[in-house]
Amino acid sequence: MRSRAAASILTGAGFQEVHSMGGGMRAWKGLVAEGIPEAGMAYFTPATRPEEMVALAWLLEDGMRKFYESLAQIMQDQEAKGTFENLKRSEENHKTTLWKLFEEISGRTPTHEFPNKVIPAEPRGDVMEGGMLVSEALEWSRGKALKDILELCISLETNSYDLYLKMEQKVETNKAKQVFKTLSEEEKNHLDRLTSMFGKNI
Amino acid sequence: MSILDYFKPVSTWSAEKIRDFLNQKNSGEYNLVDVRQPEEYEQGHLPGARLIPVGELPNRLAELDRNKPTIVY
Repeated sequence: MRSRAAASILTGAGFQEVHSMGGGMRAWKGLVAEGIPEAGMAYFTPATRPEEMVALAWLLEDGMRKFYESLAQIMQDQEAKGTFENLKRSEENHKTTLWKLFEEISGRTPTHEFPNKVIPAEPRGDVMEGGMLVSEALEWSRGKALKDILELCISLETNSYDLYLKMEQKVETNKAKQVFKTLSEEEKNHLDRLTSMFGKNI
Repeated sequence: MSILDYFKPVSTWSAEKIRDFLNQKNSGEYNLVDVRQPEEYEQGHLPGARLIPVGELPNRLAELDRNKPTIVY
């Protein structure tokens, strides 16, 4: 699963030919690979207009927030529950930040037009990084070990981190650059926390 | 146009296909990257694989030749 996030980052960075190994090391050793959510990680086509980028980021943050909120509810492990609640609040803050940024960039107050007039939501449900549906990811998470769930979260956060690094380069104003820089730093921080918890659960 | 139009799927190869590919090529002809954590890498990895944990990848792209076929696991 992490390899698909990696492949997505490399393809997005202009690597000519990239393949991820289905099933990872387990498949290599001949062990049965666990099912991975079908949508998997996907290569992100950068949005071109700043307003589009902000709307896309907002929608993805909203998806991540809902995913973390549901995970916090189903978690038995207290440390994991606390972490997911924390991450949920952080993504909520990111939404507010992006909302304000849209106002600055467009010179308009975000009303009902944002974000769905800029980028229509997916009719089948909320979407997260990599184009994965929140509902699919939650269904997959049920009954999975914490380690496997953390691996999915690490993949998602890596893609978010990468997305904000790209957006920072693409936008032109210093203010917008600063916003994306801050967001990427915070996603990196999420990533470090998740990775540390993952390390304890290997 | 929906949010999903911003995503395109990445290529996935089976372990067998990757085994064949690695057997047919010289090690200088491709990038082979292990994106797991160091602890997992130490427990076993593919011969010649370079360790770059996925979270570090966006900052370490310069270590890889983007013109060579790249396999990640």
